[in-house]
Amino acid sequence: MSGRPAASERAAPTGVRRWWRRPGPLCAFPVSLFLLAGFAGPLVIVLAYSFMPPRTFSLRQAPTLENFASVISDSYYLSFFWSLFLATTAVLILFLVCYPIAYGMAKLFGRWANLVTALVALPLLISENIRLFGWVLVLLKNGILDGTLQQLFGVSVSGLLYTVPAIVLGLVYVYLPFMLFPLVIGISMVPESLKEAAADLGASRFEIFREVELPLSMPGIMIGGILSFILALGSLAESKILGGQTVIMIADDIESAFTFAQNWPKGSVLSVLLIALSGLIVVMLFRNIDLDRIIGRR
Amino acid sequence: MEDAREALLVLDGLTKAFGDFVAVRDVRLDIRESEFFTLVGPSGSGKTTMIRMLVGMEQPTSGEIRLNGRVLNQVPANRRPTCMVFQDLALFPHKSVGENIEFPLKIAGVAPRVRRERASALLRQLRLPVDYYDKGVNQCSGGERQRIALARALAFDPQILFFDEPLAALDFRLRKTLEKELKDIHRETGKTFVYITHSLEEAMVMSDRIGIMKNGGLVQIGTPHEIYNRPVNKFVAQFMGEVNTLEVEAAGAHAVREVQGEGTFEVRDMPEHFTRGFLIIRPEVMKLGPAAAGAANTVSGRLFNDYALGSRVQYQVRSAGGAQWLVERLQDDPFEGASDGEVTLGWRPEDSILVSE
Amino acid sequence: MRSEPKGRGARTLIALWTVCVVAFLYVPLLAVVLASFSRQRYFQFPIAAWSTRWYEKAAHSLSVRDLVWTSLSVALLVTLFSVLLAFFGALAFARYDWRGRKLYQRLVLLPLFFPQAVLGLALLLWFSVLGVQTSWHTAVFAHMIWIVPIVILIMSIQVYSFDPTLEEAAYDLGASRWQVLREVTLPILSPGLVSGAIFAFLLSWGNFPLSLFSTGADQTVPEWLYAKMVSGYTPMVPTLGALTMASAALLLLLVWLVWQTVGRGRRRLARR
Repeated sequence: MSGRPAASERAAPTGVRRWWRRPGPLCAFPVSLFLLAGFAGPLVIVLAYSFMPPRTFSLRQAPTLENFASVISDSYYLSFFWSLFLATTAVLILFLVCYPIAYGMAKLFGRWANLVTALVALPLLISENIRLFGWVLVLLKNGILDGTLQQLFGVSVSGLLYTVPAIVLGLVYVYLPFMLFPLVIGISMVPESLKEAAADLGASRFEIFREVELPLSMPGIMIGGILSFILALGSLAESKILGGQTVIMIADDIESAFTFAQNWPKGSVLSVLLIALSGLIVVMLFRNIDLDRIIGRR
Repeated sequence: MEDAREALLVLDGLTKAFGDFVAVRDVRLDIRESEFFTLVGPSGSGKTTMIRMLVGMEQPTSGEIRLNGRVLNQVPANRRPTCMVFQDLALFPHKSVGENIEFPLKIAGVAPRVRRERASALLRQLRLPVDYYDKGVNQCSGGERQRIALARALAFDPQILFFDEPLAALDFRLRKTLEKELKDIHRETGKTFVYITHSLEEAMVMSDRIGIMKNGGLVQIGTPHEIYNRPVNKFVAQFMGEVNTLEVEAAGAHAVREVQGEGTFEVRDMPEHFTRGFLIIRPEVMKLGPAAAGAANTVSGRLFNDYALGSRVQYQVRSAGGAQWLVERLQDDPFEGASDGEVTLGWRPEDSILVSE
Repeated sequence: MRSEPKGRGARTLIALWTVCVVAFLYVPLLAVVLASFSRQRYFQFPIAAWSTRWYEKAAHSLSVRDLVWTSLSVALLVTLFSVLLAFFGALAFARYDWRGRKLYQRLVLLPLFFPQAVLGLALLLWFSVLGVQTSWHTAVFAHMIWIVPIVILIMSIQVYSFDPTLEEAAYDLGASRWQVLREVTLPILSPGLVSGAIFAFLLSWGNFPLSLFSTGADQTVPEWLYAKMVSGYTPMVPTLGALTMASAALLLLLVWLVWQTVGRGRRRLARR
């Protein structure tokens, strides 16, 4: 990036000048370099560590598959199962909760949709664990919900915190915007005229939804569903703060393997499996989606 | 005289290829000082690529662009003494009308006070109120925005001003008004204008000369009069509007025979070595009914339908051989015949145009 | 318009549901604020005695000052670097058409689809392999892996609506590349830059999973809060929590006010 070479003004474009004329790759270069160093690099290292013998801190050992075997033998698949189960439950609830709101924001609310967007986005700017801590205060024995019910009806609901439903609540709460916003984009991509045409051709309200709205808003639904699913799958704070030790999710296991157990290869194997699972889903998603159309509304 | 002018811009074998696709093919053209030259072609004819090469947004694959004898090929757009009025005008939305007009002066480092005077002068010249200086460009109407874009280009004081179909998006009436205004501005400033459009009609109104493009090449260059009266081929003739086109072959020194058997027709001028080609007759020179009596060329058929075209009425006649003929008459001189009735149509030999392709 | 397929009743129901869900989003925030004003050492509801003593304590605590200072330094640097990187990243994402762009778009967004905790741990390994001592400096790097893609996404939305012929027009009228950037591209994209910067700052300010593994001996506010939440309750948790919420709200308000004043002149010109 040494500026425009004045001498070669009339010469055929070569070297730096050729780069200048292709601003796309030039602009992509710094970010790509950064992500290579900060994203691709760590992933390769994690992969490398997963083949090292347990409890080693160096990468100069003979590769082994021992860690992969221990995932089965040490029943780590249980935490995988819990993560998959909780994430699936959360995503299904999120879809049911968000679809009517997204429909309203895309089609009914008009200018008010901007306000809803702002109100939903604002909590994202506050640390996730502060917001989850707020739920602890609500669900706690003698907390806000329990205290209010005792005062008003004399009923006590003390066993709410540190349960599986509390974790699901936390997941639904934290990842709601990640489901809602893609849904809004997806639904607003369905032209009103198509629905009117379907109605004109005799389709019922439900048939319009099934035949027109659902398939055409599918890109948004896919992105929202997969984004919230993957984030929930790898979540850590929800199960720790709201779940106590009721359920161990996979990220929990990974964290303790790295920190408490000081077993980097074990943690790496679990990470690799989680990454592979998420990565597979994302690749499948990206193959069917045109980002220009969704983000740029082209 | 016009031809005595020295060529200002010379295109010498200009070619542009994108991979295997050749967008502009070996174009040779001289554009003279102070003329209004228009390139006309349907979409995909290469005229946009052509103008983008002329302003410096694209590099020619081969050939030369010479301005006053200087080769411009490698000179980037910001160092060329030419500029363009864009199709969507490209007015800067974050700048006021005045700031938009002043932009090239600001870039050239002209002092603010001088810039402002020049911008005000341009506002006056383009018949825009001077207090528009502080107005937002998005608050202006379509016609006003058009004038602002032109003022901004004139502020640059280019040797050649290029136009990339700036009127295409406007409605019919406004377009007609602005076409004339543009021609007036051309006369007032004496600058060289190079304009591209897909409408030959628009080109006819404004241009000194017209170049017709097809599939990346120049098909014909000439004055509006020449293009209208002596099209070199079927494409140019049909580009102007609806015409009657018959496939014919030579049948004597002054006659051609329609290949489907519609008849043999007299023509006045036969091109040299003409064996087979097209006979073109404009609908407005066709006579219909009693008016056709005594014409050298006649065809009979049934009047099938009529269409009101505003100032004219168009009649469709289907002849016995199955061909469809178009005849146009002025709206205040309609044809008084029953629909679906038998009619005769005719034309003079000197009104027929013969082209080989 | 033709008859709206949804009746008035369904419309009201949807609106009502939206209000409920939005309120639901603010329940825990309200709870934190309430708890921060409680006098007791252990939280109980209804609150028996109100007090602001924990705020006074926080204001005078040196460790709180350290935490805030660390968080602030990280967030400011993240904002600066992210906006710089993401501006060009967004141009490559949405402005220019180049071979490899589709692939680039997907690769850039990949970190967003990654569990942050796993990313943080992977970075921890990476730093140790490279022999880099973790501190708040490495946290800046770690935050950016996740925040740069988000800022690119936010800026891209603006870049998509940017008309590239404006740049061509400026260039054609004699402007150099630098002048095009200064006179046309930057001013038109500035709303996207500002919103990108705000998001970068606040996401870094509130980030916990990436900080957890990348700050080494240093500690940010969210990290400290988490440690206290897991290990034992102290009334300073809601107090600091409420303070970070207030500071985020204050920043947004401030930016909004500045935008209103600066924007008033601009909007008069550029009414879209």
